[in-house]
Amino acid sequence: MNAAATQQRSEVLDRVLRDYRSVADTLPGGVSAHSARERAAGQLADIGWPSARDEYWRYANLRAFDHSAYRPAATSSAQCAATLSLLQSQGALPPPLAGFERLIFVDGVFVTGARSVAQSDTAADGWDWDWPAELRLGLLCDMFASDAARLSVHGTAAIEVLFLSSPGAAGAAVYPRLQLQLAAGSRLRLIEHHLGAPEAPTLVACNVTLDLGRGANLTHYRLQQCGRQVTFTDTLWARVSEQAQYHVRGMTFGAGTARTSARVQLAARGASVDWQAIAAGRGEQVHDIALKVEHAAPDTRTDETFRGIADERARLAFSGRIQIGAAASGSQAQQSLKGLIEGAGAEIDLRPQLEINTHEVRAAHGASTGRLDENLLFYLLSRGLDRAHARGLLKWAFLGDVLRTIDLPDLRAEAERLAAGQLPDVPALVGLP
Amino acid sequence: MSGTTPVAPLLEVRDLHVRVGGQAVLKGVSLSVRAGEVHALMGPNGSGKSTLAFVLAGRPGYEITGGSASFEGRDLLTLAPEERARAGLFLGFQYPVEIPGVNNAYLLKAALNAARRERGLAELDAFEFLALVRAKTQLMRIDESFLGRAVNEGFSGGEKKRNEILQMLVLEPKLALLDETDSGLDIDAMRIVANGINSLRAADRSIVLVTHYQRLLEYVVPDFVHVLAGGRILRSGDRSLALELERRGYDWISGQAAA
Repeated sequence: MNAAATQQRSEVLDRVLRDYRSVADTLPGGVSAHSARERAAGQLADIGWPSARDEYWRYANLRAFDHSAYRPAATSSAQCAATLSLLQSQGALPPPLAGFERLIFVDGVFVTGARSVAQSDTAADGWDWDWPAELRLGLLCDMFASDAARLSVHGTAAIEVLFLSSPGAAGAAVYPRLQLQLAAGSRLRLIEHHLGAPEAPTLVACNVTLDLGRGANLTHYRLQQCGRQVTFTDTLWARVSEQAQYHVRGMTFGAGTARTSARVQLAARGASVDWQAIAAGRGEQVHDIALKVEHAAPDTRTDETFRGIADERARLAFSGRIQIGAAASGSQAQQSLKGLIEGAGAEIDLRPQLEINTHEVRAAHGASTGRLDENLLFYLLSRGLDRAHARGLLKWAFLGDVLRTIDLPDLRAEAERLAAGQLPDVPALVGLP
Repeated sequence: MSGTTPVAPLLEVRDLHVRVGGQAVLKGVSLSVRAGEVHALMGPNGSGKSTLAFVLAGRPGYEITGGSASFEGRDLLTLAPEERARAGLFLGFQYPVEIPGVNNAYLLKAALNAARRERGLAELDAFEFLALVRAKTQLMRIDESFLGRAVNEGFSGGEKKRNEILQMLVLEPKLALLDETDSGLDIDAMRIVANGINSLRAADRSIVLVTHYQRLLEYVVPDFVHVLAGGRILRSGDRSLALELERRGYDWISGQAAA
């Protein structure tokens, strides 16, 4: 890292803090909320802005953040409601999913849905999360966010949260926030859906905190389909308690640059995480996912799958770090990371990392990146399939490892449609078994 | 076959020279196959049998340095692999590939409909396709559940070979090149595969069996037998040639050629 780059990083941090100071007094919330924002700003100033020199940020397209405006889009609840009406009248929203309660946030502001689960204010009792350095961009939300989708679930629920970035957010920043507590034994299917295509560079910085109580079961569908002018970063931190199960279905298709920083702590015996993710990039898109799973207790389990396709000049990265601590005997970890390079200028970087500090662990990991297998392609051609069809079929099969695990047919169809839009020669294949 | 009237060859290979990785593998192969005929192409390991099959099917990676190959009078070597397939050429692979995530039935239906479009026929819908494929799976003793599985994934060696023949039965090609379809088969599987091949024998269809051994030829009796060694067809004959090879080995022919 040269001096100019260090200087640049410092300038970005200065601008973030300056933008914060300029709006701090106008941000919603009482005294406790204000002090939480101040604490977050102080913490970010202490940690500093991330640098590509740090392994954890090496593949993030940090340059995309250099010129972002960090002040939140200046929108009131009334404005956001009007924007939503307009978008609805244009058919710009995905159709509601049967059985799911829908909450809608426009530019980070709560607009519609059950009030009981969506609350203003930033700081609240029981939501005490300190963001470590690798999750530092989560602090942006703590500093700037107006509202949060704050869900406290007992029993069984199915909730869809739409985070829309409106045309009015262009040139500013949007701070979606999702905070979730699952009571012991509860079950939740949660869809977190980010969309919207402002017509000028816009930052979307999202943070998600999840606390799964004993025996809770969460299936978390995460779909990001923002427009190319969006620089997207989401920061997720999950604590998984005894015998609780956390299932993630991650789908990254949108934004010019998207960075996911995630940390899952398997905190008590029998906790598990099952993280299945796909990313498909084309053009100049950069999708980078850094996931860290900590096994802190015995008999914990990780299943991690990533499938990424990079077309044209897109860059994808997935860094999967699994730490099995000294107390985590009897744990299991399985990791399968695969990348498919389609474009001549495309790049995929996969980094599987297993750190094992105890005995009696079953762990397996594999990572591979390459182009379509010519032998498979020839086999399909030799059966008379035309080349585009054969290539599309193989790409579809590649993503199918993850797409098949999306057990909501309507959402899977939507994900297939979006994936097809990212892969020039597969549109005809949507709906494959 | 039409008896006394000479029939133009379905496949005509003339003086074909092929290099792989700079190495000459086929050094002037000529072969004529007429409609209705079954040919067996035999020869020792490394003689170029599979190369010939792959070159005719259009697999990339082979440098054709001389000669020609035509199929129904069309220049085969200028066609893309998928065009050759749709024109009616089928390659049964020696090592069928596994394609995780691609459904067997989907592939079969897509392949069949590609062929039907080429012939100007209407595409089959799911019900029509199932009715057609069901009878063929029974002939090949393939459980219908295999249709719902990924192509060849987790299939045994014998199941893969039977699946190749199933594809051939569904596609009804004009010319089937079967590359060591008999290798790795036990005697029961050999009979099933042979039944499948024989069921497709017809006056307007030709089959080229690439094999090491004459065992398959007890079940699928060829009209002609050729011995390929060192990149050339050294001898052609009728079925008795296969029996003689079984008795005397390939050295006998190679030795004669060298002499």
